[in-house]
Amino acid sequence: MSALYQLKDIGRRYGTRPVLDIDSLQLQAGRLYTLTGANGSGKTTLLQILAFLQPPNSGNLIFRGLPVTWSRGVLRQLRREVTLLHQSPYLFATSVYANVTFGLRSRGIRGEKLRRAAMAALETCGLSGFEGRSARELSGGEAQRVAMARALALQPAVLLLDEPLANVDSETSSLLLQVIRSLPKAGTSVIMTTHDPRHQSDLNSITIHLENGCVVSNATSSHSGIL
Amino acid sequence: MEFLFESLRTALTLILALDFDVVDAVGTSLKVSIWSVILAATVGIPFGVAVAVNEFRGKRILITLINTLMALPTVVVGLVVYGFLSRQGPLGELSLLFSPAAMIIGQTVLALPIVVHYSLGAVRGADARILPTARTLGAGPLRCLIRLVLDVRFGIVAAVIAAFGRVVAEVGVAMMLGGNIRGYTRSMTTAIALETSKGEFAFGLALGIFLMAVALFINILFNVMQER
Repeated sequence: MSALYQLKDIGRRYGTRPVLDIDSLQLQAGRLYTLTGANGSGKTTLLQILAFLQPPNSGNLIFRGLPVTWSRGVLRQLRREVTLLHQSPYLFATSVYANVTFGLRSRGIRGEKLRRAAMAALETCGLSGFEGRSARELSGGEAQRVAMARALALQPAVLLLDEPLANVDSETSSLLLQVIRSLPKAGTSVIMTTHDPRHQSDLNSITIHLENGCVVSNATSSHSGIL
Repeated sequence: MEFLFESLRTALTLILALDFDVVDAVGTSLKVSIWSVILAATVGIPFGVAVAVNEFRGKRILITLINTLMALPTVVVGLVVYGFLSRQGPLGELSLLFSPAAMIIGQTVLALPIVVHYSLGAVRGADARILPTARTLGAGPLRCLIRLVLDVRFGIVAAVIAAFGRVVAEVGVAMMLGGNIRGYTRSMTTAIALETSKGEFAFGLALGIFLMAVALFINILFNVMQER
């Protein structure tokens, strides 16, 4: 299977404080990875780099065999393949439907194709009938599901999830777990941060453990147990 | 007290009878103020948003300058624009002085820092996740900015309302650049100043009531927008 991401000597610091220092890491396409580590271990920073939202201070990031140049035009194209769902996702101050179609419209998709993609994503996330609701009137769990639907509507090559199950009730959590588990089969690679060891086994994922910005272990949870 | 009551009664009669001079002054005021706010918003909103979202050298100084310009005395604005529009001034050939156009130019200058200041404040106070969210959903720079502006739309509308409140109630620019010509450039504020000095207190009071009603309406609208 081809390498989706290759990270070589990736370093990132905030001011003088180093937050990420990865010698080498390869992520394969069509897999589900869980990224673990204590608060401040660099998980979110790594996701930001993988989402092409912030460049590393040093090292090379290779995506699908091509080095990422971090120029504006290239980034725009790359960002259309990768979608990041933030830990506390922001919903635009408009309707649920407008939120879910935002990324599709940015890609020039209109008409029936747009509507079908949005409705399918809403249905997957258990949100049929929510399309006319204002995003500001939703509960935390509903908002999380809308954000997930908004990401899924784009059918990205890579979905990056920053603790998507951290602030949701058990019902939403199991629904989202079910959705996440099905994504690699549908052609979307998933990289997800989590603090909960149960999620690694539930998802049968490959675990990457970070400590002080360094990768200290990289294993499939079904083979090595919970790290 | 009788004088006040009698004046109030006359003022209300003038309003109810839709007295030509009252209606004309109100119309001129509203027309000039609305146009100046449209122009100030067209320039000021994109400028305020641009200043807010970009980091550049001298940004703090620029923001301080904008804040300072908000407190510009209206007569100073009138004076400077007068210098440009007077016959000997660089724009004298356009013969705009003592016309509604001159009043609009002056009031636009007056409104611009207000629109910029409030737009800038609205964007700076916006949720920091808006732009990264739009970017990660694949939106280009312009679409990201449009989304940002839409999400802070109430703050932006508040900027426009605040600017309108400032220009509709000012007298310095309207007097110096409009010249208070009856049926042409006479606005509510200039008419109040002139007619009262001539002893037409009731007429001034009638316009004052209109002005207060406009101010009250603007304040209610402004508060509603700020609460949202």
